[in-house]
Amino acid sequence: MIERWALVSGLKGDLDTYELIQKDLKKTPGNITLFVLGDMIGPEKNCNRLLHRLINPKSNDLQPWCIYGWWEEQILLESGYRGDQRAEALRISKGEEVVKSLTNAVDKSFLDWIAALQFGFVELDCGLIHGSSKDVGENLTLDTPPLTLLDRLTRLQVNRLFTARSKQQFHLELTEGIVNSEVEDLNGNRKKEQKVPQKAVIGIGAGKNYTLYDVGTDNTQFVQAGYKTEKRIKGFGRL
Amino acid sequence: MNQAVISCLHANLPAVEAVLKDIELQGITNITCLGDLVGYGPQPNEVIELIRDKEIPTCQGCWDEDVVDGLDACDCSYPSQLAEKRGHFAHQWTTDKLTTENKDYLANLPYSIRKDKCLFVHGSPNSQHEYLLPDMDAFAALERVENARAEILFCGHTHQPYIRELADGSIAVKIKNAVPKDTQEKEIQLPMRRIVNAGSVGEPRHGGTKATYVVYNDVTNEVKIREVEYDIELTCKAIIDAGLPPIFAWRLKNGFEFAEQAEDASHVCER
Repeated sequence: MIERWALVSGLKGDLDTYELIQKDLKKTPGNITLFVLGDMIGPEKNCNRLLHRLINPKSNDLQPWCIYGWWEEQILLESGYRGDQRAEALRISKGEEVVKSLTNAVDKSFLDWIAALQFGFVELDCGLIHGSSKDVGENLTLDTPPLTLLDRLTRLQVNRLFTARSKQQFHLELTEGIVNSEVEDLNGNRKKEQKVPQKAVIGIGAGKNYTLYDVGTDNTQFVQAGYKTEKRIKGFGRL
Repeated sequence: MNQAVISCLHANLPAVEAVLKDIELQGITNITCLGDLVGYGPQPNEVIELIRDKEIPTCQGCWDEDVVDGLDACDCSYPSQLAEKRGHFAHQWTTDKLTTENKDYLANLPYSIRKDKCLFVHGSPNSQHEYLLPDMDAFAALERVENARAEILFCGHTHQPYIRELADGSIAVKIKNAVPKDTQEKEIQLPMRRIVNAGSVGEPRHGGTKATYVVYNDVTNEVKIREVEYDIELTCKAIIDAGLPPIFAWRLKNGFEFAEQAEDASHVCER
């Protein structure tokens, strides 16, 4: 049976969208593993019902495998889970009201569960993270310099990096790379030509826009929750 | 014009004096220091005061940061628990010895110094604790220089002096699953960049006992690694007299600083 990953992020408390995605995935062929790459919470709406559902899936739900994202990092900072630091980046960029909205949107009883979430998963030769291997808040996009993308892949020692922070959906392959290195030290000179095998960075989208990844063929399918499955199956393009 | 770059002085006054003398003999007045003025060695205040007196621009090293802010590096910096214990002892000893004025000086050092196309840092542009080893992944090395918007990156921290040139690079990219569906491909040429590691004045880790530093000519772009002999016995005696771990003296005398090198020095400290 085809093995597929469903990669979701940026739900921000939206249980309706999560249910729509679960419904979609039930109709999607293959053996599907569901990864939720952070930003399950946000300041816009109460997140408790979604968090409860993620922690306690319904019997017919696909089990979600969750990591923390930028908004989870902010609430952990603000709630004292990161030592003396507070959510200053959020406070400066969005203001005190948003900080309050965020802390009000999540019941304190969920904080320990959020704090126990991992930064990312490494599955096969793929890294699944929210931002980048450097920082949970880093945006990787089509415009990110390839050298930076390569570095973020190298840090996790993976060939595929799935990222959510930018909210964009893209599949960028680094097909070939070469650089000549010459080192001079007290032992003399040495030259080396370094090549890069094919690697890729995949933006998975956010909210209703999620990604299906076919592990066997390395193909991505960008999906919007609620669209008819038969349309999606025809090709690999944004619908 | 020639300029000298020194790093990792580690409270070794005889080594610092010998290197500064060597620089002076070459008629070089432009000196930049990449930090780690203290740690391991027996003369932290004396070394800081010498650098301050000579008004040498200096960036903050990991030891300089740690004695001010408390231990910051994780256990990855040490090859064994014993080495870690010795390191912590030296940290506490140094903290106790430093004057308030010298602690303030260390606390206020900048993370980096920029001069035209050159960037001077202790470890890497990312962190004072990151080791840019001579044979690290070439693309990752190039990324450190390029993302710091420099043409030449001067660093220390590894205690191994080297000059690395990264040239003739390119990366080909292809956008799959693009909108519109046409596949977009392009090849990006990478710029030539250099990383220059100044080695260490006070704690060499190149297998020998001589202090090292580098001389850079900003007209010809030539870089030379300099090795300088100093009175090791004097430093070793001071280490023993100060009550610091005798192995600190032993490894200086025998050039066995490899004993303190972490197994995976490329590991990026997450703290």
